[in-house]
Amino acid sequence: MAEMPAPNPQRIVLPPHRERARRPRTVRLREWVRRNLFHSRSGSVLTIITAALLGLLVYGVVYFVFVDANWRVITDNRWLLFAGGYPMDQEWRLWFSVGFVFLLIGLAYGTWASLGRRDHLFIVLASGFVILLLAHGGAAIWSTLWYLIAVALLYAGYAITIRIPRDAGPARTAQQRVVAGLMIAALPIVLIALLAFGGARPRELDGFVLNLVLAPVGIAGGLVIAIPLALGRASRLKAISWTCTTYIEVVRGAPLLGWLFVALFILDDVIGGELIVRAMVVLAVFTAAYMAEYIRGALQALPFGQYEAAHAVGLNQVQTTQLIIMPQALRISIPPMVGQAISIWKDTTLVSVILPLRELKGNADSAIAQFEFTPDRIEAYVFVAVVFWVVAFIMSRISQRVEGSLGIGER
Amino acid sequence: MTTEPATMPERNLESADDIIIAEGVDKWFGDFQALDNVSMRIKEHEIVVVLGPSGSGKSTFIRCLNRLEEHDKGRIVIDGIEMNDDVRNLNAIRSEVGMVFQQFNLFPHLSVMNNITLGPRKVRRMPKLDADALAMQLLERVGIPEQAEKYPSQLSGGQQQRVAIARALAMQPKIMLFDEPTSALDPEMIKEVLDVMQELARSGMTMIVVTHEMGFAREVADRLMFFDEGALVEEGTPQHFFENPQEDRTKLFLSQIL
Ligand SMILES: Nc1ncnc2c1ncn2[C@@H]1O[C@H](COP(=O)(O)OP(=O)(O)O)[C@@H](O)[C@H]1O
Ligand SMILES: [Mg+2]
Repeated sequence: MAEMPAPNPQRIVLPPHRERARRPRTVRLREWVRRNLFHSRSGSVLTIITAALLGLLVYGVVYFVFVDANWRVITDNRWLLFAGGYPMDQEWRLWFSVGFVFLLIGLAYGTWASLGRRDHLFIVLASGFVILLLAHGGAAIWSTLWYLIAVALLYAGYAITIRIPRDAGPARTAQQRVVAGLMIAALPIVLIALLAFGGARPRELDGFVLNLVLAPVGIAGGLVIAIPLALGRASRLKAISWTCTTYIEVVRGAPLLGWLFVALFILDDVIGGELIVRAMVVLAVFTAAYMAEYIRGALQALPFGQYEAAHAVGLNQVQTTQLIIMPQALRISIPPMVGQAISIWKDTTLVSVILPLRELKGNADSAIAQFEFTPDRIEAYVFVAVVFWVVAFIMSRISQRVEGSLGIGER
Repeated sequence: MTTEPATMPERNLESADDIIIAEGVDKWFGDFQALDNVSMRIKEHEIVVVLGPSGSGKSTFIRCLNRLEEHDKGRIVIDGIEMNDDVRNLNAIRSEVGMVFQQFNLFPHLSVMNNITLGPRKVRRMPKLDADALAMQLLERVGIPEQAEKYPSQLSGGQQQRVAIARALAMQPKIMLFDEPTSALDPEMIKEVLDVMQELARSGMTMIVVTHEMGFAREVADRLMFFDEGALVEEGTPQHFFENPQEDRTKLFLSQIL
């Protein structure tokens, strides 16, 4: 080559460093308390009143949980609540699925994020809760063991992947592909593990297991339908865009409750008799309408220069959508999608309101319908609420990590 | 070390063929006429700098040359291929014409390497190893081989624009279009991009460059073209333009910009 431009000093723009110089902990704490709690007289009064109310609340909760409540409604109905009609002799299939999913979470965290102190704390607390639940009343030592193995798998997966260096390169790409591929395959694998080769029949999916199956099917199915729907709505071909717009507007025009009635009364002729399958279809179709709108919003937010650059590089329409537009649009729409996923997670309880399907909330109703447990309805519902909250919390934590590692909003 | 032949092509423009022909090109946006009867011929290896005030149709014109815009009237012929609705012609033309944008338009979700290899791999079906080797050559040519695994957001503006140039070159085009390639850059980065463009010009690439960098126009261009209100008002050598412009509108523009 003739003359090259002189090599430039490399200017790399990195996110601002977060670490700040720190003062000793006790000084910081005292300072913080003074500034935030007792900075003025009225402030101090408010702080004291709030503290008193909080104290009462905590006292009430602690008293209820440890003294007043009769948790036998839960521990005696463990199997009913969690697996209901699932054949008891196939319990290992449930634990296999739990272990597999935990392993995947570990692999994924080691690949794209890392477990911080708060994550470990959460795992310890959640595990304490689960073990208390499994071991209380003396029953299943085996279940506890299974659960501990699952947690061990989580950490094993994490330990494997966290060790692999993150520098870009073919090895890293391969690792990401394998983990991502496993995650995509996870749902079918779990369904096979639960149902195939002498497992349960679909209608035997029951209790919390049913919630845990319905929500991912609804979310994954919804995503699969939503992508073509969003592209279709943005299409220049009027017939296509009108069809997709109609779908979206009609589905969003009625509440999920209404569509579950459709599943109950109308879909029989279309899809067949298996009620769970009908519920899955309705959840996916319903979720898809919302997700499609989030993706469409992201499509519109992409700078037009991306299309032009793809065109200039010679990519055709399909390649441009698949390689340039969709990956970016999906990233942008992750936060609202997670919101939708959490919402559909909670809405899985509706299937036992409308359909004669029994999920966690429905089985809690059955539990307190037993004569000896009728006084314990509060315990049952508090427990159901906590379980739902824990899963929703995990979902939102994971999505925060996903957003962080994809650098959403940092572009 | 590079994709160039060992000896530079003799830049003998007299005997070179016309690689771009535009005849009576009109372009309308609704009832606004953005291009008004533009005609020109550009020879292979020629470096043309397009000048003109903002809104004069410079971008619209060069975007018509790779069908980012569709012209409404007149003829455009690129390397003997007629620009019409025939998809085969359009694909052939697109693979001969590379483009560099003011805003870089790199793909933010792909590494520098993948930004460059995407076209060769997906359009030319080049094997990954070959595409990677080509990308490394090009990154060396634009002076940033060590940035291959970074993402666009981790690079400075000047580096991003050099990646964009490498990305366009990876399709091995005969013609490169530059639409104000340095206008979005901080002053200290303008030179690194202009240096790359200058090297490219010397290597025999046919280039059309929309720019306000008069130094580049004076030193590198074979021919300058001045656009105003959608029309090609005046063209000539840099010497002609800077010493002896004919049209009043050209004089006014140059007096404002110099
Ligand atoms: N897509 C478009 N729709 C409507 N008007 C446009 C469009 N693109 C460009 N124009 C108009 O055409 C004129 C020429 O634009 P452009 O070629 O970008 O000018 P230049 O690059 O010389 O600044 C401007 O008045 C601009 O507003
Ligand atoms: Mg312009």
